[in-house]
Amino acid sequence: MIEQDEFLKQMENLQVPGIDPPSHQQTVKMAIMNAERSATLGVWLIVVPCYFLFCVFMYYYSHMHSSWFGAMFNLLSGMLANKPYMDFLAPVLLVVLPIVCIIINALSIIHVNIRKVVPGKAKVKEFSITIKVKLWNLMLILISLAIVLTFIAYVMTENISIKN
Amino acid sequence: MKLNWFVRKGLFYRPVTLIGWLILSAAIFFAVYTFIDIDRQSHSVSDTLISFVFNLLIIGLFYTLIAFATEKKPVKAG
Repeated sequence: MIEQDEFLKQMENLQVPGIDPPSHQQTVKMAIMNAERSATLGVWLIVVPCYFLFCVFMYYYSHMHSSWFGAMFNLLSGMLANKPYMDFLAPVLLVVLPIVCIIINALSIIHVNIRKVVPGKAKVKEFSITIKVKLWNLMLILISLAIVLTFIAYVMTENISIKN
Repeated sequence: MKLNWFVRKGLFYRPVTLIGWLILSAAIFFAVYTFIDIDRQSHSVSDTLISFVFNLLIIGLFYTLIAFATEKKPVKAG
């Protein structure tokens, strides 16, 4: 009987662990796309523009008198000659595919979250963007950006030189 | 609808069903046909190789796009 009383006393004096919400802020951050799959497709999406730029580089290297954009122009005009489908395919291969590569790789490493900062106040919200540091995905995004910027610079230069 | 025609091995996709193998065979056949066609029209070996590699990469891109859409998806944890 005494043992039972002691047991009851012990049970009554037990301290219940408190739940502290701010200390449980770590959440599972799921990305929209799988990072490895995106990286695999990304490599294939930028391999054609990279090969084209490599050809431009070789052309530029072997024709020292021509400029970088001049070399690009000569190669593009050579590609487009007698191939009507290339008229449509060239901008898709050289600009649209790297942009698609940027999008799918960005979707695989970026996590966006909107949550209430103060539980009572619905108007106060916090918007947080998390970027996972995945080397391959980041590298593909940077290479794709460089390719897109190169072609935008080429198009702008060509338009300016034609108008002048 | 789950198709599961391909399995990813690193950068490449390996067919695992008959349709997958048929797609890979068609891609290889088209690449060989392209090589013969380019070789007939070109004037030098470098001319052939430059054009063929470009076409080969485009064929590889389309094959990968098909495989990406029809691959066996990895099982999510949890």
